[in-house]
Amino acid sequence: MRRRSFLKAVGVSGAAMSAPGIILPAWSQDTVKVGCLFSSSGAMANIEGRLNYVVQMAAQEINRNGGVLGRQIEVVTTDPGSDWPLYGQQGRQLIQEERVAATFGCWTSASRKAVLPVVEENDSLLYYPLHFEGEENSANVVYMNSPPASSVLPALEYLMSDNGGKARRFYMLGSDYVWPRTINDQLKGYWQQEYGIEPDAWREQYVPVGHADFQSLVNDIKRFADESGEQPIVVLTVVGNSIPNFFQEYINQGISALDVPVLGLDVVEADLEGLDTEPLVGHLNCWAYLQNAPGERNQQFLDAWASYVNENDVPFRPDVSIDPMVSTYDGVHMWAMAAEKAGSFDVPEVRSAFPGISFACPSGYDIKLTADNNYVHRGVFIGSVNRNQGFDIVWQSPETTVPVPYSPYI
Amino acid sequence: MRAGKIVLCLLLLVLATFVPVQAADIDRQGLVGIWCAGDDAERRDSFAAMLSQVESADEPTRQWVQSVLSAYREGDLFCTAETAFRPAGEAYENVLTGERVDALPADANAPFLNIPLRRALEPVSRAVTLVVSPEAAERLGAADGLSRSLGVVPPALIEELYATEPDARVRSALEQVLVGVWLASGDPADQQRAIAALAADPTRQNLTTLERFVDGAEGSLSPSVEAAADEALSKVKLTVQASDILTVLYHGLSYGSVLFLAALGLAVIFGLMGVINLAQAEFVMIGAYVTWFVQEALKVVAPDLLDAYIFIAIPFAFLGPALVGVLMEWGVVRHLYHRPLLTLLATWAVSLLLINIVRVSIGTQNLSFYTPEYLKSGFTVFSEFAITWTRLLSIFFAALALVGTLFVLYRTRFGLRVRATTQNRRMSGCVGVSTRRTDSMAFAFGSGLAGIAGLALSNIYNVNPTMGTSLIIDSFIVVVVGGVGSVLGTAVAALGIGELNAFIEPQYGAVASKVIVLLAVILFIQQKPNGLFPPKGRR
Amino acid sequence: MMTAFVHSISGEGPRDRAYLAVVMLLVLVVFAVPLLGLSPLASTPLGLDGYQVNLIGQVMAFALLALSLDLVWGYAGYLSLGHGLFFAIGGYLVGMHMIKLAYVGQSGVPTFLNYMGLSEFPFYWSGMEHFWVALLGALLLTALVSFVIGFLAFRSRVVGVYFAILSQAFVYVAMLIMSRNDTGFGGNNGITGFQSLFGVPLSAIESKVWLATASALVTLLTLILLRRLTRGPVGKLLVGVRDDEDRLRVLGYETLWLKIAVWCGSGLLAAIAGMLYVPQVQVASPQLLSPMLSIEIAVWVAIGGRGYLYGAIIGAILVNILKFWLTRFMPELWPFILSGAVLLVVVVLRNGLMDPGPTFRFLFESVRRQKVAGKGEGA
Repeated sequence: MRRRSFLKAVGVSGAAMSAPGIILPAWSQDTVKVGCLFSSSGAMANIEGRLNYVVQMAAQEINRNGGVLGRQIEVVTTDPGSDWPLYGQQGRQLIQEERVAATFGCWTSASRKAVLPVVEENDSLLYYPLHFEGEENSANVVYMNSPPASSVLPALEYLMSDNGGKARRFYMLGSDYVWPRTINDQLKGYWQQEYGIEPDAWREQYVPVGHADFQSLVNDIKRFADESGEQPIVVLTVVGNSIPNFFQEYINQGISALDVPVLGLDVVEADLEGLDTEPLVGHLNCWAYLQNAPGERNQQFLDAWASYVNENDVPFRPDVSIDPMVSTYDGVHMWAMAAEKAGSFDVPEVRSAFPGISFACPSGYDIKLTADNNYVHRGVFIGSVNRNQGFDIVWQSPETTVPVPYSPYI
Repeated sequence: MRAGKIVLCLLLLVLATFVPVQAADIDRQGLVGIWCAGDDAERRDSFAAMLSQVESADEPTRQWVQSVLSAYREGDLFCTAETAFRPAGEAYENVLTGERVDALPADANAPFLNIPLRRALEPVSRAVTLVVSPEAAERLGAADGLSRSLGVVPPALIEELYATEPDARVRSALEQVLVGVWLASGDPADQQRAIAALAADPTRQNLTTLERFVDGAEGSLSPSVEAAADEALSKVKLTVQASDILTVLYHGLSYGSVLFLAALGLAVIFGLMGVINLAQAEFVMIGAYVTWFVQEALKVVAPDLLDAYIFIAIPFAFLGPALVGVLMEWGVVRHLYHRPLLTLLATWAVSLLLINIVRVSIGTQNLSFYTPEYLKSGFTVFSEFAITWTRLLSIFFAALALVGTLFVLYRTRFGLRVRATTQNRRMSGCVGVSTRRTDSMAFAFGSGLAGIAGLALSNIYNVNPTMGTSLIIDSFIVVVVGGVGSVLGTAVAALGIGELNAFIEPQYGAVASKVIVLLAVILFIQQKPNGLFPPKGRR
Repeated sequence: MMTAFVHSISGEGPRDRAYLAVVMLLVLVVFAVPLLGLSPLASTPLGLDGYQVNLIGQVMAFALLALSLDLVWGYAGYLSLGHGLFFAIGGYLVGMHMIKLAYVGQSGVPTFLNYMGLSEFPFYWSGMEHFWVALLGALLLTALVSFVIGFLAFRSRVVGVYFAILSQAFVYVAMLIMSRNDTGFGGNNGITGFQSLFGVPLSAIESKVWLATASALVTLLTLILLRRLTRGPVGKLLVGVRDDEDRLRVLGYETLWLKIAVWCGSGLLAAIAGMLYVPQVQVASPQLLSPMLSIEIAVWVAIGGRGYLYGAIIGAILVNILKFWLTRFMPELWPFILSGAVLLVVVVLRNGLMDPGPTFRFLFESVRRQKVAGKGEGA
């Protein structure tokens, strides 16, 4: 514990997380290691960093109930520093040196792509908690979140319906990388094939990752909206800190959700933390979990997170919970269930135990894996920004949807 | 008998005038019931029905409708099983009984309004304001918003209101609302009125309306209407184009002012000491954090002054980073004056250190800034040329920093020493200028300027530990283009790069604009390796 | 300072011993890695597993990169904060080679080309399945790019801090361009999905061992070559450029072409480092072009000490091993340690670990004096 107090003294409370990795190896007979690959520094730190603690929390829960196959879970944390090749490097370290049984990690597609060869070459497992562009199905990745067909299209369908405001014109604004581009390609195909909408009804713009000045682009959205009588919407696929920057400018230029609603596909509760959401009320997002999801299970999860944060001095807000957190939490539990079912930590055996695994997710749905692919079946929520920096639920799918990794619209 | 008949008739007459009022009176309980728990269609129908009744309702009812409706629209109507409450000062008022409670019942919650419902509600509530409000300003606000969509509001109602409206400004706003009705009426006189109204307010939306009208009519118009439409169209188009150009110029100006603020301190330090301070962007970040601390402190100490926190924070946002700057100069930079390349690395290390100190001590989340009422939104100058207050504020701060820096450099003894040292360090030393002290002070001054930049940016960008990293390369480029240590050069370069960026970005996208600007700058440095305003003195 | 550098070039005494030690270290790596990684020794406690071999290989590639920077910074006095550009050219081209190799005999293209609506490789991928094409391409492209940058910069006599910023601007522009999806190299995600190199699957320990050995060997040969070069007339001229270019010009030397030649040579070395690095990390992404990486290269050299070649190697090895180790065990502390180390080295030491500077020399000397004094008393 002296080490811990030393770290505290230099004001590095977060580093305490790595302490078990050093203190505990002697127990390794009774423990099983899992790895975390989430950045706590660099551009992604604000949203990604909290997932480290979620893994810890889930492991703690499982350990309290006797662990997995009688072994306690030991979480090994790293910090790839938002540097994509470093994810691969540290993934290699986790798998080959720490011999972790499974890894939970990555937010951006770029980081996942860097880890992919590593897990494939070592036949290890990566639990990936984010929704992404799809078009990938590795036997070594468990996709905890939804591919676009089940995470994006329901929200668009809603916005294009009478109930959602009959959107017919689309301004696509994204960060310039694969996820936004693929999503937008799929959407264009969807509009053309399903609605017969012509290409002059949309406009596409990309900004560099981390772009902050949205003045000209928000003005361009205004122009776009005024150029025709039909209802326009913005399909927003910018990521990271570009999201609050965009909304700040949207507020400043006085565009309301009644004029041009924004469907923010990567917008989570945490992105609204620094914003006055009063003028943003009504903008939408679409995830497999929202903090306001109804039900006892969600309440339990929120309470567990709040008390975990308070007990462990976690540098994140106790009252904010976002989809990737729940996806990560699900991932740890589903991995433990698969290992229990397989009776082993060996990856091929754990993998063959996947089909039929079902977990009572805080979102209220019983999420499951089938033999078709490694995508988890999740429910879908459409959320609408409210005044309290959160999302009201506008619509939710009656049950879990079948994930479609490869889109028919490309 | 006869008298009796008359009495009876009178009675009937009184009743006749009375009964309809009774019949039209609004079923408050029913309405609240539907608003709280009805389905979307019921709610939408209730809006239209209520609107038709409001006109003839008595004054208290009208007031009731207006207050409850606006609470409903704002999401401030909290429903329980039997009734609903709306905020009234610190307490809540039961909208059916009028009694007040200090706290909401546990089961009270605001019903969720989806976008179509809000779109239906918005015009209705504006129409109610038009009908009910005795204040011309309020009616004007309501009429302004109506032009976007009438929804379920019957156009006849607007025409009626237009006919009886005493205030000229409200009338012209209502004309904008009626344009669509008039154009579609087929009556040349109405169409002329509509065209005149459209031409009077040359926005892009009206341009689209006009174009559609002209294209859709296909020769069915009377010649006079067509001529008027064509004339109006070309006038509106020209105005919109002019406003577009001004908008781009303004965006360039505001982006340029951000660049200028970020680069100014750098330029002062670079000019004096030949030191590129890679931690400059972190001083911007510290300035923003100091601003936040001032805001938080005001919340506790003097909530009344919170609205003015931006101005109260000015000295702190200057002094905080200046202090860090002095420390850095003393601890690091002064040891490296003759090794500029190593200073580059040392200041980079300082920037890494500062980012991480803030990260572990305060956290990575974006800070929440309170936006005072006077900074929210903005105003339209004409047509599409709109100015937002936050951007205007950053331009103001840039101007302030420019004037302040010029004043300090050219009108104070400190400035004289700085200029002397910049021009000839040895000679200045010989004539008694303490160059060490000057360096230290100038470094503090430059750091403080960066802090002011942080203050100005706090309402435009997110504030987090890494906010500076996106600024640093841009601000170097500005300094390099401007010429070593030239304040005016920095201003001109920032403005030029800002404008270039603003012109390219809408056309070719943000990536291309950055690339083109940087390539242009690289080529520019080829031609003028010492920048726009090369330093004069001997070095 | 001057004398220290002259000393390094005329080279006798402790400097030579340090050089020999680094050479020996590299020789040791060249022999030990295959021996402990592949032979029966691999399964003994002394043996190296794939992860360790891979780590050594990466560090060696970084050492070569640092060496290339030291040539222009330590000798010619031009600090480049854009060496990631050349590193990335080599990395991307070898990446293209491996991608193309994976698709030989198959129809279809990698997904990132699919996203652009392409169903076959564009023309600039042709021939990439041959390693020599990729190698030649990387070298030619690097030579071209470095020539253009060098010509533009040196002709208008951009020096010092200006040059550093200019080179940083170049690498930043390149990063922006490569981050665009439409540029055609996988955008922000970069290119991944490599299978094999020279017929050896990348996942096999053999490929890791040979890549690591090759990296160490190339670094070793480069060190010896550059040592000879810098100790000859070219090295003297370069130091002349660094210390007083005007005087050199007055003496009648045309420094422009010398500088361009050295700059291009340095770029080529960085490109080779990139070609060795990317197969080991199995991803080539715009992160190679991030200004941060380019600054870090300068940090390695600064910590190791400029102008000695082997100093750069020591710096790269130390910093990177520390980084690999600390980001694992104390991820939160790493940035503090890195910045602290840079400040310490830059402010307190005069030239990295190679030249402790007056502060430390004073310490050492006072210690020695005390010892001597003590002896004197005793005698």
